[in-house]
Amino acid sequence: MDCSYFRERLNRYVDAELGYLEVAELQQHLSFCPGCAVELAQLGEARTALARWGRLELAPPPGFAERVIATVGLEPAPGAPKPFGRAVEEAFDRLDEALGRVPLPGGRTIPVKNVIGWGLAAAALIAGLERRHGRRTRELKPL
Amino acid sequence: MAASNSHMWALLPDPSPADLVRAAAGDAGAFRLIVERYQGMVYSVAYNVLGDRTDAEDAAQEAFLRCYRKLPQYRSEATFSTWLFRLALTAAVDYKRREQRHPEPVEVPEFVDEASTELGDGVSAGAIMAALHELPEDYRVPTVLRDIYGLPYQEIAEATGRPLGTVKVMVHRGRASLRLRLSAGRDS
Repeated sequence: MDCSYFRERLNRYVDAELGYLEVAELQQHLSFCPGCAVELAQLGEARTALARWGRLELAPPPGFAERVIATVGLEPAPGAPKPFGRAVEEAFDRLDEALGRVPLPGGRTIPVKNVIGWGLAAAALIAGLERRHGRRTRELKPL
Repeated sequence: MAASNSHMWALLPDPSPADLVRAAAGDAGAFRLIVERYQGMVYSVAYNVLGDRTDAEDAAQEAFLRCYRKLPQYRSEATFSTWLFRLALTAAVDYKRREQRHPEPVEVPEFVDEASTELGDGVSAGAIMAALHELPEDYRVPTVLRDIYGLPYQEIAEATGRPLGTVKVMVHRGRASLRLRLSAGRDS
């Protein structure tokens, strides 16, 4: 087998997604292929550098905390009664957390609240059309 | 979202239950302590996901706003820092999906601890930041979520609204690009 077969597996190897037979096969190849071994080492170094980068703490812009506090100061206290719109938004957020996301063909997913929103919009449209159709029927009804 | 727990902020002591109760009751002073303690973590997460300082500030502010609104829902099954970290990640990913801005030119921001900007193997923080900046947006966000924050692929797919297979391909390509850029930087 050529190197492309093994190089395609290096990412799955570092993600621990290979079966033990595939791991053994790859490790055997790495033992005599310096090119693939170097690619794996570089991949490991890049991932290590990323992980270390993620542990660095960046300094927020000056005055950031004050701006956050000022924004939060405009909010009602977390436990206080909320405006209707916010209460609906939070109810949908909780629904999303409880029900997760709806799978679509092709592997995509969408939040449950979007499905509910589209359903409500479609129902309103149908109800509107029916009412309009009913009114026109009554208008056309012969005496 | 599950996340790697090996980050610096995981070592920060959580606010006391009394502080959290006061903050949840609307005590501005108690919430200020939370903001001051975790602003670096929340801003870093937002910056790493968005790659733009202005966007990162907006998303970090949104994360703290969500934290304030959801404080009464916080339960101590997770540490406070982990709970806030997840809010910050979600706020940044939501922001990314909502806003499409052109990334600003690379400029290394200041670090809280300037002494630790050498990342080992001859890679500097500036080199990583430049390499991340040069990645196409489609690759950068999944790669950041996977290799900086350790999220499982399935959760990245759910967070970004992309198919699982696509997310894996994006991470693999992002890694390949970073690997080449970082090794080229070391060789030059």
